[in-house]
Amino acid sequence: MRKLLAATLGILSAVGGFVDIGDLVAASQAGARFGMAHSWVLLLGVVAICAYAEMAGRIAAVTGRAVFDLIRERLGARVALLNLLASYVVTVVTLGAELGGVALALRLATGVPYLIWVPVAGVAVWLVLWRIRFPVMERVFGLAGLALVVFAVALFWLPTDWAALGRGAVTIEEAGHGWGAYWFVAVALFASTVSPYEVFFFSSGGVEERWSAADLADARFSVLVGFPIGGFLALSLIATATVVLGPAGLTVSGLEEVAHPIVLAFGGLGLAIAALAFFAVTFGAALETGLSAAYAAAQYFGWQWGKRVSPREAARFHTVLLVSMLLGVLLLLTTIDPVALTEYMLIISAVALPLTYLPILVVANDRTYLGDRVNGRWLNTLAVALLLIIMTASVVAIPLAVGTRMGQ
Amino acid sequence: MRIEVSRELLDRQLLDVRGRLIGKVDDVEFALDPEGTPYLSALLTGPGVLGTRVGGRLGRMLALAAERFVTDRSLTPLRMPYPLVTRVDSAVWLRVRAEELPTSAVEQWLRRHLIDRIPGAGRASG
Repeated sequence: MRKLLAATLGILSAVGGFVDIGDLVAASQAGARFGMAHSWVLLLGVVAICAYAEMAGRIAAVTGRAVFDLIRERLGARVALLNLLASYVVTVVTLGAELGGVALALRLATGVPYLIWVPVAGVAVWLVLWRIRFPVMERVFGLAGLALVVFAVALFWLPTDWAALGRGAVTIEEAGHGWGAYWFVAVALFASTVSPYEVFFFSSGGVEERWSAADLADARFSVLVGFPIGGFLALSLIATATVVLGPAGLTVSGLEEVAHPIVLAFGGLGLAIAALAFFAVTFGAALETGLSAAYAAAQYFGWQWGKRVSPREAARFHTVLLVSMLLGVLLLLTTIDPVALTEYMLIISAVALPLTYLPILVVANDRTYLGDRVNGRWLNTLAVALLLIIMTASVVAIPLAVGTRMGQ
Repeated sequence: MRIEVSRELLDRQLLDVRGRLIGKVDDVEFALDPEGTPYLSALLTGPGVLGTRVGGRLGRMLALAAERFVTDRSLTPLRMPYPLVTRVDSAVWLRVRAEELPTSAVEQWLRRHLIDRIPGAGRASG
């Protein structure tokens, strides 16, 4: 029974780590404009995040060291410092987007203007990080995030043409928006499923919870069940947007549109559930991105980090955490549109993807760290193929963004 | 003990006897024994030596950033004589406790001026 409970909790953290503001925006936009035609991107993203999170978890369990910790040994002090700077910028921009998502969810629930909620969200996220225990934090937000299942349920209430939905999922078409826009959305959606912070967070969490080789099976199980559940939730976002937003000609400019199909199906109660789910997934992701930014810095420099020691014993780690949170809030207070910020965030994440994924693959094949627990041949074949896709997405992201004016 | 400095020591995590994180091996120091044979005498950690090893403008910026927080402008690194090392695996383990080593100047400054002033700084949240 206890084992079952532990497995459930592991899955919850994986679900919580998967869906965030990037998925909400990218999946709904994809559905509203292109129907189900991006389903394969989601599938590919889930396979990629599963494969690489498994490696990162295995590295953490066998060596007791988190991914960023080892990146410096393999890339050298200078290249790893440049990698740290780039990863830090991407993670803080992601943090800003997630805080924007929290504020948008609160506006959806209360009607109080978005900008008022921004500092509130920043302080609340920081307070939770300062005070709440790690497992509690992961589970509460993971569980509340499951409320997103309301999107899958809504499909049965809405006039869904299942046959058309199924056909749409297996055909790739640009639906009159042009192939440039199609591939732009594909890259953004892919980046949202394989966000680098998910891997930083997952491996650092493993070290923090003192995984050993004995926990490998559990970690693998959480990844292989939790991330696909997250992928399923994202797919139901695409599907509801396909059924409701597409035919109505609506585009996604805020969380109102994302929630629109649920309001149509369930009215006020639906809105409340959707707002709760949005709040939980963005708040959970804000916690994870904030921590990931500080983890990356602390692990590069070898500082004491984590929530097991008191903040005064990890003063540099907690300073970076505090500064990152402040930067995230300030970014939003420039009155940048949070949905536009999310789109930019997804594009710069896509560009930075190889910085995270290449070193993981290198370390996962290094026998000096992993002994005989290095990648097997099949996993390596899959991982290399996925890395090629990741690198392609990274290379084409900026040209696509410029060429299509952010997917117009 | 044969050890490859650049591959197995440099940039590796330093841990105290209980597994507390001390810093990274930012640089190493060699000395000459009476017969004139060089030997590895100490491991160094600190932003000053790291900045020098990173080199270029980036390295200088790193050292300058760290200097803002210290009174000791030369950024003296923490020096651990090599005999303190007990084991090298995915990290470098020392035989001392973190409290017996001098605390990093930047850590001390931030602790005193920022983190300790926030209520609850002395309690781990798990």
